[in-house]
Amino acid sequence: MPRELSVGGMFMPSLLLVFVVALGLLALLDWVAGRYGWYRHVWHPALFRLAVFVGVFAALGLAAMRGD
Amino acid sequence: MSAAASMAAWRGAWGEAFAGAGRAWLFVFKAVLAVCLTGWLAMRFDLVSPYEAMITCAIVINPASGMVVAKSFYRALGTLVGCGAAVLLVLAFPQQRALLLTGMALWLGVCAGGASLHRNFKSYGFVLAGYTAAIVILPVLDDPSGLFDSAVMRVSEVMLGILVAGVVSDAIAPQRLSRALRANIRAGFTGFVGFVCDSLAGVLQRGELEQAHLRFVRESVEIENLRSSVIFEDAGVRVRSPRTRRLNQRFMAASTSYQSLHHLMNRLQGDEHTAAREALMTIFVELAGAIRRVDATASVARQAAELVQSLDATTDSLQMAIGQARASLRGPIVQLDFDTGAELTRRFAAELRAYAQAYVDLAGPTSRHIAMSRHERAFAHGNDWLGAATIALRVVVVMLVTGWFWIATAWPGGSYAMLMAAIFCGLMASSPNPLGAVRLMWRGWVLGALGAFVCLFAVMPRMDGFVLFVAGLLPFLIAGFYPYTRPALAPIARSYVLSFLIMTELDAVTVYDVPAFFDRAAGLLLGVALTGVAFRLFANAADNRFLYRRLLDKLRAEVTRACRAPLAGARERLESASRDLFMQIIGYTGAGSHVAHDFMAWGLSVGEAGRAVVDLRADMAGVAPPLRHQLQLLVEALAGLYDAPGRLRYLRTRRRLASALRVADRLHETRVLRHLHLLRLALLDRQSVLAQYMLNVSDEVRHAA
Repeated sequence: MPRELSVGGMFMPSLLLVFVVALGLLALLDWVAGRYGWYRHVWHPALFRLAVFVGVFAALGLAAMRGD
Repeated sequence: MSAAASMAAWRGAWGEAFAGAGRAWLFVFKAVLAVCLTGWLAMRFDLVSPYEAMITCAIVINPASGMVVAKSFYRALGTLVGCGAAVLLVLAFPQQRALLLTGMALWLGVCAGGASLHRNFKSYGFVLAGYTAAIVILPVLDDPSGLFDSAVMRVSEVMLGILVAGVVSDAIAPQRLSRALRANIRAGFTGFVGFVCDSLAGVLQRGELEQAHLRFVRESVEIENLRSSVIFEDAGVRVRSPRTRRLNQRFMAASTSYQSLHHLMNRLQGDEHTAAREALMTIFVELAGAIRRVDATASVARQAAELVQSLDATTDSLQMAIGQARASLRGPIVQLDFDTGAELTRRFAAELRAYAQAYVDLAGPTSRHIAMSRHERAFAHGNDWLGAATIALRVVVVMLVTGWFWIATAWPGGSYAMLMAAIFCGLMASSPNPLGAVRLMWRGWVLGALGAFVCLFAVMPRMDGFVLFVAGLLPFLIAGFYPYTRPALAPIARSYVLSFLIMTELDAVTVYDVPAFFDRAAGLLLGVALTGVAFRLFANAADNRFLYRRLLDKLRAEVTRACRAPLAGARERLESASRDLFMQIIGYTGAGSHVAHDFMAWGLSVGEAGRAVVDLRADMAGVAPPLRHQLQLLVEALAGLYDAPGRLRYLRTRRRLASALRVADRLHETRVLRHLHLLRLALLDRQSVLAQYMLNVSDEVRHAA
């Protein structure tokens, strides 16, 4: 994946796209976790959510940037 | 004394001293951390104006965590929308300063008006859509070619501030709003059931009923407001959100019925009603017994489940008690009095059971599917468009005056005046007491300017490197954030922190320019002053008779709507919108004032009459055509009466009611007859707010005959 994407002639860092995708994934995960009450087994839900987000974003970002 | 004992005593004393302050200091720590972290990141990322990011952070941060997340969500949305609007405006008027400023003023007006139409954090999105547009446009007013860079930079800065504030307040010792929501729901349930249990067999005077009404209305509106913020912080609450609303709807239904019941009992005074009253009391005792069987020491969910069982078990004995009590009564009028009360009691028992069942469902596992109607999951808000328009006009005028002054004098402080006015007009659009808040803002501005001066010219020149930079900021920020946790001081603190951050314009390379500093300070001063003048000129409903009357009309219009709108969802709409409007007025006027008393009387009347009309309409479909025609006329007359109350309309309603009663009596439509009787008693109540439209006593006697 290239480092920058051209959107209508403007250059955007492609990590921004990855960031948005990671946010979407987190929202999905959050919904599922809320639906089935998974957060009850977690000590600090907010910190857990943040950690999951960092993990997802880092994994996606590294995967996207591997070619360079 | 041994060393251990003295240590323990010390610890006790310390714990006492810091028990209340602990939470406040935790917030101060988080706020300062968030602001400094934002500043550091902004400098690391080479953003053009790190102080914009820090200001954003200071606006977003809030003592309760859920609010930060909710605000951040809407704020991010608002930022993007505002940025889009700014770009469009500059593209539309690239070389036209006057037109561009006018467009910006209009956009800010739209945003402030929109902010006042929404409760809690959606309104923030609007405020910030306006604010972002202002901070994108102001720097590029003379140089449209810098638009794109300005837009990207401002959005990056604002987003950075949002992100850091959200992460810091959510991840470090969060203060949960969901706990407050759960406590409110629990307290609402036990409070209502306890109130019913204590007062069912007794007499509540009108004043007590008004107090109870105020309390229950406040509880249901608070639950709704908390719910709408907590869904951003707690996934469990989000999933249960429809159930929470359903619980709230049923709470409102039950409390309205309960009040109608007490109004009815208060109206059945006098010798001719004594028999019916006493007969009704016996069935109240039966119902109160069923409620009292619940074990008050158990958990609330357990109590709710027991209440459901207990009410189910009482249905038959309640029916039997009603039959027995009725058998002892003689005469059609007395029996009609009793039947009306008994019907109302039955309905209230059913609604109380539904409320308890909703509580059981809310506390139960989410995996079980519960069927509910679309209307039960709703909460309608009542809004006044003209009030929003006033607020919009206020902002537009402030912006135009400031902008004109700026262009006419070419004074560099002008852009700061616009910025400050834009922020404060938006932030305080729906403040209950904006004039008082403006007065506090003044003091905040003075303190902020002094702090910024000392910090910028006495402290910062001695500070080298980021660590010392933060150390220099710390005392000023701590002094600003500590009062955030005290509601009475919050406007001062807000204004202080904002002016401090705007005036110091912190950056990696700080500029020590004394004339520029005074330009900024004077600009902010002008912004605050103009905001104050504007709030005086375009007052909100608290100080404006006209807007107050309009809100009152809106409240009454809920009955008109209940008469005319489609029946499906009419009750839910009536209950929630009338409560929402009611709380708006109480928020503006305070609960104790004379105006509030007048409003309260209307609130009670609207709740009761609206509910009676909806129930009447529900039973109207099945009756014979001549009666249905009479009922339609009556409903129309009631709609007219609440649309614009007056003697003539009141009399017409009474006449229609009398003829409908005659026809219903002839056709033996008992259910309709009871609804009509209830309405008649409400219309004839000398203590109600409608009494002002009655004729004098001798005419009354003739009419009643």
